[in-house]
Amino acid sequence: MFRGAFSIWGRDMRVMRRSLVSELVSVIAYPLTLYLAFGFGLKGYITDVNGVPYPLFIAPGLISMTAVNAAFDESSWSMWFHRKVQRTIEEYRVTPVTVYDIVVGKIFSGFSQGAVKGTVVFLVILALTPFRIDYTNLPMYLLCIALSSMTFSCLGTICGTVIDKPENIGRVQSVVIVPLIFMAGIFFPLSSYPSSILPLIQLLPTTAVFEGARDALLTGTIPSQYLVNLVLTAAVCFTVAVYTFNRKMAE
Amino acid sequence: MTDAITLHDITKSYDGFTAVDAFSLQVQRGTVFGLLGPNGAGKTTLIKILTTLMRPTLGDAFVEGHSVLTAGKEVRRMIGVVPQENNLDRYLTARENLALHARLHGMRPAAYNPRIDELLEMTGLAGRQHDFPDTFSGGMQRRLVVARALVHEPRVLFLDEPTTGLDPQSRRSLWDHIRGLRRTMTVFLTTHYMDEADALCDRIMIMDHGRCLADGTASQLKDAFSRAHTYQVEFRNDADRYQGVLAGLPFVKGVEREGSLFQITLADEESIKPLMDHLSGSDIRRICLKEPSLEDVFISLTGEKVRE
Ligand SMILES: Nc1ncnc2c1ncn2[C@@H]1O[C@H](COP(=O)(O)OP(=O)(O)OP(=O)(O)O)[C@@H](O)[C@H]1O
Ligand SMILES: [Mg+2]
Repeated sequence: MFRGAFSIWGRDMRVMRRSLVSELVSVIAYPLTLYLAFGFGLKGYITDVNGVPYPLFIAPGLISMTAVNAAFDESSWSMWFHRKVQRTIEEYRVTPVTVYDIVVGKIFSGFSQGAVKGTVVFLVILALTPFRIDYTNLPMYLLCIALSSMTFSCLGTICGTVIDKPENIGRVQSVVIVPLIFMAGIFFPLSSYPSSILPLIQLLPTTAVFEGARDALLTGTIPSQYLVNLVLTAAVCFTVAVYTFNRKMAE
Repeated sequence: MTDAITLHDITKSYDGFTAVDAFSLQVQRGTVFGLLGPNGAGKTTLIKILTTLMRPTLGDAFVEGHSVLTAGKEVRRMIGVVPQENNLDRYLTARENLALHARLHGMRPAAYNPRIDELLEMTGLAGRQHDFPDTFSGGMQRRLVVARALVHEPRVLFLDEPTTGLDPQSRRSLWDHIRGLRRTMTVFLTTHYMDEADALCDRIMIMDHGRCLADGTASQLKDAFSRAHTYQVEFRNDADRYQGVLAGLPFVKGVEREGSLFQITLADEESIKPLMDHLSGSDIRRICLKEPSLEDVFISLTGEKVRE
């Protein structure tokens, strides 16, 4: 069971290993720029948010953002590329593996990209800045990142499955993914929202991703409403991704 | 059961347009079966249905006794596929492409490594096995796709235009290899090259508009369509006069002229005698019956018009 998924995931990891070193600069550049620009640029204006120093407030979100972005990117582009450009999905489909093997393998590849790149950014922020955490909080944080990466990997898989034109994947990223991430309060506390829309914002899966991650990293616990949200969203996205791919392949 | 492939009334429509129309077929084990047809005839569609990439709109098909509708996984265990367009993984080396395929077939390294060595040797790619396929010529990529389809030693091999883009040497070496497979494997191939079908296939089917037009060995097809009776006549002199004479004969269906060489198509076999009565023996340098080629058969069945 799922040996095919494991082989496909193995292929993706081999390819990632080959390109990781050359990709690292661009993986690190974006979150590190944001960290330096906001964390240090604004330090004189915002000393702390609810008692948390501002650089420490934004760091967990930047790490999570790297992870979920990488998961979405890998899943969407890779699925699209293997389906429309290389047509390797067709090659997989004439072997005894099932469509479930293929979609599960691809989802885990996106997830793994997110995990690896998130870890790298975490280590770089740790090495270059005074950002420090309590390591007993790490397991909860990793759980949160894992669930989030899973969700975004599934979302990416759905996009890469249903979207045929590459420019439309870029549009989904800038119209859906980026606003969802920035609305979720990486750079500001949710209490900045008017109380009328705050409950809606708190329901966003990305809010659970970023608020949950920050709470996990700084306090060692994920508020239960966020945890439930993360688990449910990941489960729903996984089901929808598998269903969508299955449907697409039956066309 | 000696049939490797069976199709029962397979129909495939793409929103209203019927690409394959109630197609039935049985291919015996160990046959090299060739499917010919103009562009858009439905060849690739048939292969996609047989390799479980596409579901037929109506009907069912069986590969080695397994239904493509209900036992896709068993079908895929039996088959090797060379698609019309190369679908190699350009981020994996040639050898890794083959190894991934083997793993997807559940093979272990101890089983697939020697097999891959053998196939790389056979396709002449052993020296380039650690290079990426996008550094290969079109012909080398094609050979790699063929090697990939053979890694797991399939029982039925589907080849969609396997030799398009290959140089004569590579084509011939691939033909030799396919001939070598004949006894152990069933081969289902499509091609636009009549010489290829003639040289390679035990059985040929010509299709168009999703339907079968003719079926048989190359010589059966040529015999069946040789009723056109074309003769080549070369005149020693008076060629211009004879052109006028031939044009006036009711049983002469067509005349093509190249200098003193005429290609004369007669209405039937009996017309050769009255034709000879109109030609004076001393003016003729040479006369011979022109054997129909597979291409003549193909053109007479599918017409001369280019498909849009
Ligand atoms: N996905 C599709 N959607 C709509 N029509 C299609 C699709 N695929 C094929 N067709 C149509 O079905 C018909 C048969 O196509 P097919 O690819 O099977 O032809 P073919 O015999 O392989 O031709 P060629 O020799 O050019 O490869 C064509 O008219 C084509 O336009
Ligand atoms: Mg075709």
